Formats: sequence, C-alpha cells, structure tokens
Amino acid sequence: MALFFVKNNFFLGAYQEAINAAGKLKGLSDQEAAERDYFVYRSYISCGLYQIVIDEIKSSTSALEAVRLLATYFLGEKESAKSSLKDLLADPLVASNNDVLLIAGIIHAHEQDYNEALKYTHAGETLELCALNIHMYLKLNRPERAEQQLKVMQRIDEDHTLTQLANAWVNLALGGSKIQEASYIFQELSEKYSWTVPLMNGRAVCHMHMGQFDDAEQLLLDALLKDNKDADTLANLIVCCLHLGKSTTRHMSQLKSLQPDHPTIQRQVAAETMFQQALQAMG
Amino acid sequence: MLTKFETKSNRVKGLSFHPRRPWILASLHSGVIQLWDYRMGSLIDRFDEHDGPVRGVHFHRSQPLFVSGGDDYKIKVWNYKTRRCLFTLLGHLDYIRTVQFHQEYPWIVSASDDQTIRIWNWQSRTCISVLTGHNHYVMCASFHVKEDLVVSASLDQTVRVWDISALRKKTVSPAEDLLRLTQMNSDLFGGGDAVVKYVLEGHDRGVNWASFHPSLPLIVSGADDRQVKLWRMNDTKAWEVDTLRGHVNNVSCVMFHARQDIIVSNSEDKTIRIWDMSKRSGVHTFRREHDRFWILSGHPEMNLLAAGHDSGMIVFKLERERPAYTVSGGVLYYVKERHLRTYDFATGKDNPLIAIRRPGSTGMNQAPRTMSYNPAENAVLLCSDVDNGSYELYVISKDSIGKNDTQEAKKGSGSSAVFVARNRFAVLDKAHNLIVVRNLRNELSKKVDAPAPTVDAIFYAGTGTLLCRSDDKVILFDIQQKSILGEINSPQVKYVVWSQDMEAVALVSKHSIVMATKKLALKCSVHETIRIKSAAWDETGVFIYTTLNHIKYCLPNGDSGTIMTLDVPIYITRVSGDKVYCLDRDGKVRTITIDTTEFTFKLALIQKRYDRVLEMIRSSQLCGQAIISYLQQKGFPEVALHFVKDERTRFNLAIECGNIEVAVVSAKEIDEKDYWYRLGVEALRQGNHEIVEYAYQRTKNFERLSFLYLITGNLEKLSKMLKIAEMRNDVMGCFHNALYLGDVEERVKLLEKSGHLPLAYAAAKVHGLDEVAERLATELGDKLPQIPKLETSKLLLPPSPILRDNNWPLLLISKGFFEGAFAEPGVVDQEEENAPDAWGDELVIPSGDAQAGAGEAEDLEEAGRAGPGPEGEEEGGWELEDLELPPEVVQSQASAQSSFFAGITPGAPVTQVWTQRSSLAGDHVAAGAFDSAMRLLNRQLGIKNFAPLQAVFCDLHLASQSSLGGFRPVESLTYGLERNWSDSSPPNVRNGPALIYKLPALEDRAKQAYKATTEGKFSEALRLFLSILHTVPVIVVDSRKEVDDVKDLIGKSKEYVLALKMELKRKDLKDEPVRQAELAAYFTHCDIQPSHIRLGLQSAMGVAYRCNNFNTAAQLARRLLDMNPSQAGIAKAKQVLQACERNPRDENRMNYDGRNPFVVCGATFTPIYAGSRSVSCPYCAARFVPEVAGQICSVCDLAVVDADASGLVCSATQSR
Repeated sequence: MALFFVKNNFFLGAYQEAINAAGKLKGLSDQEAAERDYFVYRSYISCGLYQIVIDEIKSSTSALEAVRLLATYFLGEKESAKSSLKDLLADPLVASNNDVLLIAGIIHAHEQDYNEALKYTHAGETLELCALNIHMYLKLNRPERAEQQLKVMQRIDEDHTLTQLANAWVNLALGGSKIQEASYIFQELSEKYSWTVPLMNGRAVCHMHMGQFDDAEQLLLDALLKDNKDADTLANLIVCCLHLGKSTTRHMSQLKSLQPDHPTIQRQVAAETMFQQALQAMG
Repeated sequence: MLTKFETKSNRVKGLSFHPRRPWILASLHSGVIQLWDYRMGSLIDRFDEHDGPVRGVHFHRSQPLFVSGGDDYKIKVWNYKTRRCLFTLLGHLDYIRTVQFHQEYPWIVSASDDQTIRIWNWQSRTCISVLTGHNHYVMCASFHVKEDLVVSASLDQTVRVWDISALRKKTVSPAEDLLRLTQMNSDLFGGGDAVVKYVLEGHDRGVNWASFHPSLPLIVSGADDRQVKLWRMNDTKAWEVDTLRGHVNNVSCVMFHARQDIIVSNSEDKTIRIWDMSKRSGVHTFRREHDRFWILSGHPEMNLLAAGHDSGMIVFKLERERPAYTVSGGVLYYVKERHLRTYDFATGKDNPLIAIRRPGSTGMNQAPRTMSYNPAENAVLLCSDVDNGSYELYVISKDSIGKNDTQEAKKGSGSSAVFVARNRFAVLDKAHNLIVVRNLRNELSKKVDAPAPTVDAIFYAGTGTLLCRSDDKVILFDIQQKSILGEINSPQVKYVVWSQDMEAVALVSKHSIVMATKKLALKCSVHETIRIKSAAWDETGVFIYTTLNHIKYCLPNGDSGTIMTLDVPIYITRVSGDKVYCLDRDGKVRTITIDTTEFTFKLALIQKRYDRVLEMIRSSQLCGQAIISYLQQKGFPEVALHFVKDERTRFNLAIECGNIEVAVVSAKEIDEKDYWYRLGVEALRQGNHEIVEYAYQRTKNFERLSFLYLITGNLEKLSKMLKIAEMRNDVMGCFHNALYLGDVEERVKLLEKSGHLPLAYAAAKVHGLDEVAERLATELGDKLPQIPKLETSKLLLPPSPILRDNNWPLLLISKGFFEGAFAEPGVVDQEEENAPDAWGDELVIPSGDAQAGAGEAEDLEEAGRAGPGPEGEEEGGWELEDLELPPEVVQSQASAQSSFFAGITPGAPVTQVWTQRSSLAGDHVAAGAFDSAMRLLNRQLGIKNFAPLQAVFCDLHLASQSSLGGFRPVESLTYGLERNWSDSSPPNVRNGPALIYKLPALEDRAKQAYKATTEGKFSEALRLFLSILHTVPVIVVDSRKEVDDVKDLIGKSKEYVLALKMELKRKDLKDEPVRQAELAAYFTHCDIQPSHIRLGLQSAMGVAYRCNNFNTAAQLARRLLDMNPSQAGIAKAKQVLQACERNPRDENRMNYDGRNPFVVCGATFTPIYAGSRSVSCPYCAARFVPEVAGQICSVCDLAVVDADASGLVCSATQSR
C-alpha cells in the first residue's frame, strides 16, 4: 500500500511524480524497497535516463538485474542484453519471477516478436503481465483474447488503474458504444488523479474515434504543452490535422526526429513504397 | 345458435360434458357410448358393453370415471383412463332412464322404468336407498347441486322432489352404517332415508324431464303435454309458477341455463326453444329438418350446451362471448354488458364511458360484434347482427362521459361499418353490393360500388382505404379513387390486425393467419388446427396470437411457436414487452406476463442483431435441445456451439462450422479414434496440416502420417517414422518410409532382412550399389535374377515442397461476431487458459524448436509403446531424439512457462475488414490497399495515371489510424478510425474508415476556385479545380443524393479546368491573334458560372475586335448584352457593337461558329460540333476528338480517354 502512489503514477505515465513519491517513502521493508526500486528504475528508463539505471544498480535482486538489462537494451546493446537476460532466466528460480518475466516480455514485445514475448508473459499472474498481454493481443489483432485477459485482470482487481487503462485499450479496439466507455474511463482516471499526457492522449483518441476532431486537436495541443516529446500526441495531432484539412509538416518532422519508428511514421513511409509498388503492379 | 361441433351417429339418448377437458360423452340408442373431443372434433374412444340403448351417462366431477345406465337394467361405472368398465350395479328391474353422480358423496342416482329411483354408493358398490312412490316409469332423476334434494319426473304425470337429508346424515356418521343394512328392507317400503317432499301435479301427460335451478328454488319440467312448466318451492310447499307453451310435440328435455336467465328446452317437434325466464316467453327457436331432439346437457363450467337428436348430436353456444373491442392510442375501448368502457394500458384504469343500448332484449346474439373508434371526433361505431346487420354511431361528448343514461345513437343498416376518415365512415350494403360513405351526422356522403360482386365484410385499412373480404380473398380498396390497390388470397378472414406502424397486416381466419405488407404483398402464412381467437403485434414486429388453448407467436419469416397454454380462451387486445393485455369471456381486462425469450431470440437471429443474440446467450436465458436444433437448422451452428456443454455435440457443431480450435479442444476431451479421424478430415480440408498431423498422431495412423510428412516435405519426421516402423517391426511400413525418403540403402537392407534376396539384389543393382549387389550376388548364387537394361531410368526422390516451415499459410479469417464475442466465458477458453496446450506447441513452433521436439518426442514415445518392439529399443529411439535437440533450446525449455505457450496467430487487422467490406476506392486507400484501390479506380473510372493521386493516397492512409501508448515502452497501439460513429452502435461492428476528404470541404474548395477565377488568378483556380478532380476518386459519401452532388462537382470542375487551360494557353500565344480569338471564344461556351461567362465574353469580344473579326465580336457583344452585364459591360458591349455593325465581317477565318452548338476538345482545344464523332474521358467526361482515344485525359490527367469503365462508385448505397 505504501507503494501505491509510486505505482499509480508510473501506470498513469507520470514518471517524475512516481520518482518523487518514491523519494518520500520511509521505513520500508526489504521487499518493499526492492519493489520501489523496481518501479523507480523503470520510471527512469521511461524518462530515457538509462545511464542512471545502469550506474546505480549493482549486484542485487534478479528483478533489478533485469531492469538494468532493460536499460542496457535501450542504450543500444540489444543482443548482449537479450542474451544476458536469457542467462538470467536459465535459473529456474528466476524463470518463475514475474518481474523478470515482465522485462523479458517487454524486450521481446519491443522487438515486435510478440509470440516470443508471450512465451514469457502469457501465464499472466500479475496485473502488469496481463496488461502487457492485452497490449500484445491487440497488436496481434486478437481483441477477443485481449477481452479474455481483461476478465482475468478484473478478477484480480477491477478498480486498479492498470485494469481501467487496459479496459480502455480493449474498448477502443472493440469500437462502437465501447468508445464512449473508454472515454469515460480516461475522464474518470483524470478526475481521480490528474490529467497526465497519456490520459489526455487517450481521451483525444476517443474523440477522434467519435469523429470529434476539433475537440481532439484541442486536447492534443494541451498535451503537447505539458510534454512536447510525446510521440503519440504528435502522431494523433498529425492525423487530426489531416482530418481537419490543416498542415502537418511541422508535427511530422517533430515526430520523425523524436521517434522515427513510430507506427504513424512507419505508415507514412510504407504508404510511399506501397504506392510505388502498386504503380508498378498496375504497369 | 353457434354450432361448435356436430356428430353423425345413431340416436343420441344421453350426453355429458367433461368438467375440464374438451370432451363430451354421447350414449347412443345402439348401445355404444362415444367419447368425443369437441374442440379437435375427434372421436377419442368408444365403450360398447351395454346391451341395447344407453339412455343415461354422466362424468364424475373429479375422478376419471363416468357412469352409464341402459335398457339392459345395468348401471356401469367406467374408468376412461384405463378404458374399461370397473363394475356393474345390478338391482333395477327395468330400463334405466338416467344416471347421475352426486357432486360430493360417492353416490349415483338412477331412474328406471321399474318405477323406482335408486341411490347407490359406488365405492361400496351397493344400493343405499330405493325411492319408491312414482306409479309409472320414472323418466329422470337428479341431485340438487347443493341441497339434499332429488327431483324426478315420471310418466305418472307428476314431478316429485325428494328429501335425502336423512340419508346424508347416516353416511356422514359411520357408526350408523351397520344399522343401515338392517333397515334395508324397511327402506324398500318407503323407509325414512328418502322421503317425498313435494309432489308437483299440473302436467296432464307423462313428464319427461325435470331439473333444478342451480341457485334459485325453482324447478322446470317438460312433458308429453307439450308444455314446459316452471315451479317454485319454499321450505313447506311448492307450486306452479307458469307454463311455457310453444312446442308442438312431446317435450323431451328442459333445463335452466347456467349463466343467463333463460330456459332451454327441446322436443320431439325437432326444435330447441329458448325461453326468457323473467318474461316467460319464447325468445328463439332452432329447428332441425328431420331429427327429433331427445336430450340436452349443459357444460358445468363453460358457456356450452349439447343436444342429442335422432341422427347425432350438436355442441353449441347460444351467444358469442367475444366482446366488441378496439384499441386506439394506448386505450382499449370495449363493450361490457350495456356499457362502453375504456381501459388505459398505461395507468391500468378501467372506466365506463357511456351507456349503450341493452343487448339481447329481443333475441340472441344482438350484442355488438365489432367496434370502430374515431379518436379525432371521439366517436364509436358498433356493428351488430340486429336486423341482419346494423350499426350504431355514438359521438361521445365530454360531458356525457361516465353518465349512466343511454345515449341516443344514430343507427343504420349494413353488415359492417368502419371509420375511413376523421369525419367519414363506410358501411357495407351487402344487398346492393355498395359501400356507403356517411358523415358523423349519419348523412349519406357517397355511394361506391364494392370492388367485387361478393364483398361480405369490410375492415379498416388506414385513412381512405378499406380491406374488403370477398370469398377467399381480400381486396385493398381506395374509396376516394375507387380503385383496387392490391389483393391477396386468404381463407374467409375474420379479423384484420394491423401492426402499430401500419406497415404490416395480419389477416386472421378461423384456422390460418396470412401476413402481408400494407400493399397486400404476401409475407408468410401460418396454419393452425385449433381455432384462432385473437391477435396483436408487439412493438418489435412479432405477431402474438391466441388459439382456443394457447398463446403463440409468429415471426416475420413465418416461424411460429407456442408461448404458453391457456385454460380458457382470451382475446388479446395489445402486446407490450412481455405483457399481454386481453379481455376474457366475462369482459374483464386481464394482463398476462409471457416469456418472450424464445421469440425475441429468434427475432434477433433473423434480424441479424447478433449483439442482442449474444446478450441473451450470455445471460443464458435460454437453452435446451430445441433451440440448438433450431440454430442448426437455420444455419447458425457457430451460435449453437455456445449453448452446448456436451463435448460430442460441441465437436459435431464445431466441425460443421469449421471451427478447428473448438473441435480440437473437444476432441481432446472425448479422445476417441473416430473423433480424431473426423478432426483430421476437416483439418485436411482446411489445409491445416499441423492439426492433421496431430490427429493422425493421436490415432496412431502411421501410414497417413508418413504420407502427410511426405507431402509436407518434413523429411526429418519422415525418418523418425521410419524408426518407429522399425520398432514396430512393421516391414511394409519401413519400406514405405524408406521409399518416401528415397533411401535406397535402407530399402535394400530391409529387403535383405526380410528374406527377399532377389528383390534386394535387384534394388541394389538398379540403383548402382555395386558392393552390396556383389555381396548379394554371391549369396544368391545361381538364383541371380536378370536385370533388364533400362535406358531412361532415374532415381525417384521425394519432391521437396516449396513451403516447408510451419503450417501452410491459412486464410486469415476475420472472426465472426460470435467467435470473438464468446471468447470469454465459454468452456473453450477455460481450456485454453488452464491447460498447457501440448497440441499448440506442435503447431506454431518450427519443428527444429525444442517445444516441438519435446512434444514430438512424447508422441513418438506413445507411438513406440503402441508398437510391439522390446523395451530396450524404445529407449534407443529416445536417445536419438535427445541428440537432435539443439543445445540452446534445451535451455529455454528449462524456463517453465515458455515451454507451455501455444503461440498466437495474428487476427485480421481492421484494415482488412475495411477492404473486405467495401468496393469503394477511398476505403481501400485508407486501409493501405493501394493496389486494389488502383484496380478499382481503373475499373470504375478508367484511371491509368495514378501519379497525381500519390499525395491523396498517402495522406488518406496516414490519417486512418490513431495511436495510443498502451503498455509502455512497447510500440504504441494503433486503432483504425472509423466513420459514422454513434453512441448506440454495438461493439465489433466495422463501419469503414473515417476519411479525411469530405464532400463539403471539396465544395468549399470549389467556391475558393470560383473566387480565384473571378479575380483572374487563373493558375491558382486551375490548381484548385485539379486538386478537386484529384481528390474525388477517393471520396466516400453516405447517400445517393450526395453521389449526384459528387458527379455534379466533377462535371463543374472539368468544365473549369478546360476553360482555364484554354485561357492560360491563350495568354501564352502572343503571336497568333486568330488562335487567341478562337480560344477566347471557346471559353465562352464552357459550362461555367454566368459571371465567368460574362467575363469571358468581354475578353473574347475584345480579342476578336482587335484581330478585326468584327462579325464575331458583334455576336459576342450581343450575347454579352443578353446576359445582364454590369453598367460598364453594357457600355463597352454597345460600343463594340456599334463599331462592328459598321463593318460586319471577319477579316480572318476562325474555326468558330457561335450558332452551331459544340463542345471543346480537351486536348486540341478545337470545337467538336454536335453530330461529329468524339470520345470522352470515363472519369471527368471531358470530350475529345477521336484521335486522342487511348491517351491520358489532358483535363483530369488521370483516366485513359475512351477507356471502358463502370462509372463512379463513391457510396455504399450504390452497391446495395
């Protein structure tokens, strides 16, 4: 319970707040301290501060070791991080550690090798594993599996922030009246905690799906004020601008420099090649 | 009299209704007792044990018993369930006339020609009392319903009332039972048990029948003196009240009606007569031609009578029980007794509205039959059979409501009358075959000939129209236009029921329902064996109706079924949700709650509202075999799948709908050879060879397995099969596998081992294994076979398949609504979640992988055990397997979870759904299916040059998805943006992508372009119009009207592009003034806005004038003047005109004739005059001279001129 604010902020995408909340915690048991570190260092990773993580984590629990490997992975040493992780998992004790499995899942999911990732995570005993699974099922266009996994999460803790968020992801995939429900979820979470960029972006996505691109654009611009480096915000802004008949060049170049492998950029690049291919096919 | 049932038989002497079932007993003069079901009209049973006529018969009130008495002096008690006579009571010494059970005690009273009445105890089977006193045949005797009385009638001309209270007291106190036996003798001579209370004298011939009134102290009797007498009694005496005269022959039977104040009698004069009890006069006479009546009987509960005559019997009702009613605006209007009442469905308030004429005062069946209500004027039309059909019109004024005084009605004759407009009603005049239209003052407004010569009823059909019944058809007739709008065949229609929106009508006849649209197009029909009584539509379009004993439903497609059983008939007035409002036969409004599950489910299924279906399945409101077979029969095995728990049925359904996943799970549960085999067959059909392999493994079907490995090119496993065959000592199997593998040495070895040395030698020799051949040759010695020389032989090696990893590619199936939606609570998913998917391992992970190896090993181990090979060898096989495993995978096998994971096949992305559902280029572009989009555009619009569309394509695709962080830092989730979102649309229903180009935006762009044109920014305008033309191919609109708007936009843009191009070209041509003049003149003939034409005319006029073509300039000036130009324009035009008219001729020849209509070629900018040949662009419809055919259109720069194309498709409504 002591870690609630750390975790909750982490899940809501407010990483700095998570780190700050962790700093205020006192009198934790060893186990709690380890858990706190697990989230704090992951928050650092999410902020892009990989070196801190690598420097600070020295011989400790396997979970933290995995986090360190995650940081090295993002620093670019992908293959070595992966093989080290594999070595780590060779120990049967570690192989059943959900925290380590999660990191393994994240790495493989990040490589878009979802089936490999699911090998580690599909048993999904924790909310985080489930949420990751849902994400991957949605990526694989298997919303029915995602719904199933969501049921598992709801059995564990229906009111948990992560469950709520995952519910919104699934709802967006299902479409129709579920979009409205997703929108309510983002709204509710923001009222309960605060408007974080991911929440604003989520709400904006709902607006987009409801055809309300004006509202979406406003929200996205607000989100951009909070964090001008959020790739999804930029990506959605591009789509909104297209729908509103506005220019997208600035957002596009911003996004390109920020995250060149973002799905939206991928789509743009793919579109041009596909167009050429299709032209050739038409002869 | 309304005859409900009639039989033909021998003379009927006795009758008895069953108190609850629709049965009647008829005892015949021939000695037979018949048991009839008068509702179905069928003979249920016959009892033939009496010798001679059976005159009396009676059902017991509660036991499955009846009693009969006949001319064989016997009283028989029967059990109709076991269908046999239980016992016979003997004692009477002559014919027995009547028998009757007591209501309460186990007694039977019988009347006999031996001048006695006897009371029997049918439990002890003894006679407990003999009533003596009559001194002639006793014709009838019956118990009083409540009191301890018996009434009897005798040919001694008396009616006697007997007091049997002493008898009752004796039986009630059993202590006196013994005494009774001793008293028996004294009873015989008029002992104290039953004493005559009254002797009613008055008839002057023998009395045939006497019966009590059920509640009043009255007796009615009928005698051979042809009279019916009414008697009254009190505690001390009884006296004659009145005599009813009318019958012209012996009265055989008479009784009080149980529900009405009337007396019913029948007679040998072949009539049944109805008498008013208070007025004591005949009300009605029903006559038969040839048959004398002998017996009457009333139903103890219902309003039914039966009468027996010389050649059978009839079951009948005296009056209709169906109240006249109608529903209007949530209020039921109905007639009860002498009031018109209203019942508000919403509030449940029931109020009398006005008093109407008292029915039935002058005869039977005079009550209103039908009602028509006019909500605008608050008027009611009541039709009745009075005077062979008449109507009464009541206009209900506000202040008369609730008052009890009878309203004065406006009356008229006519067999049916209905309102046809606010202040008009139509009456059918059958005699003259006319439909008479009257106003609310009952004044004639017009007369119309009926649409057919035999119209005998008219029904409401909306304002100004009527449904006319004629023979076996119904005609929809417009009274104003006197025209027939439609007709439909239907058996004699009794009621017409309109759906609430007046879109559908049900024509209800006695045994069938015909459903039709409002134009009388047949939708479906339903036949019922039981009479249909009433019906109503519910809000969802389900038709709910009642028969005599059921409430049933009928769906729009004609599927019908029973909702519930009824004890008594009811008349449905309205159905709302699960509430059925109805009137019962007492005219009371009742509400019945029905179970709507079945039909709403079926309805949802028919309407393909799968979300609703799903919801119902989830809340498991229904189940059972019936619904499963219904689903299967209707072609929804995939839905049925979700109802079934039984694995075998699940398996069958899964196979039927090709759902391999479920089939596998079920097959695992069942684990029987036959099921594995069928799974294998289905998987093979689908080309899912990994499942095939699995199924073969489970059934140990080695031959098939080997062959499967051969065709899938899995040589590794094939060699394993070889080893297994070795272990099993299956030589033939080994040989096969070796052959498949192309392993000659193995084959030779096998042949040698099995002792076929010549064959082995031949094989070795042919394949050039010389060493072996030599060795074998020495072994064979003389028996060395001759090997024929073959020139062109070659070694057959198994072909290596192109695709050999994993499964063959399977078609991506977008999951059906149910498959996806069901994916959580069902049995399957439990399985998937909990069970480590051993089979799954096999499927997804490549064969070299550890999981596959492990799974494989297990299976092979199993296979090995099945074989007869010794233990040791089996172990050997295992070791081999282990060696094959790549080392690094062994490690990963150690990690617990990973080895259990099944792997997930990606589902169909939403973009695929979009393209599958749509043939609109825009949808395909958004989905990123550029190639198919291009093919579509090529086919539809003849577009060949796609380069100008690149930006549009890319932007559209780019804007097709939103992205959301999801589980960070994994790559963001993307969701397809769809158009036409609404809060109420169900999940998982795809609408097609939301597109960024919309018609209004393009129209705005066109306005900008007009403005630019006006301002003379021609290149800007041209760019805008071209951009419109380059966007329209991917536009998608919702309605047909918008499609026309789009086409209009294309046309306008094309004209402007052409005009602007000419204008720009003209500006380039500095040195060719004549050509300039031509182009300027052509400009004015483009179909562009008048203001632009005016501007064009001004400039063309100037150009023409400058190159001295005054005639042309004058022409242009005149045209300009006709077009209301500005003041400056007028002045200038007049100036030019003046100048030109002085010298009206052209200095230079121009290819321009302003008076001859023409279009301008988009490529050469030359006129194509009407009548000359031209070709056009299939997309923008620009016209060209024939030489241009086959080139890219120079106007739109997209399509090939004169190419074949099917035309613009930009809305889903076009393909519907």
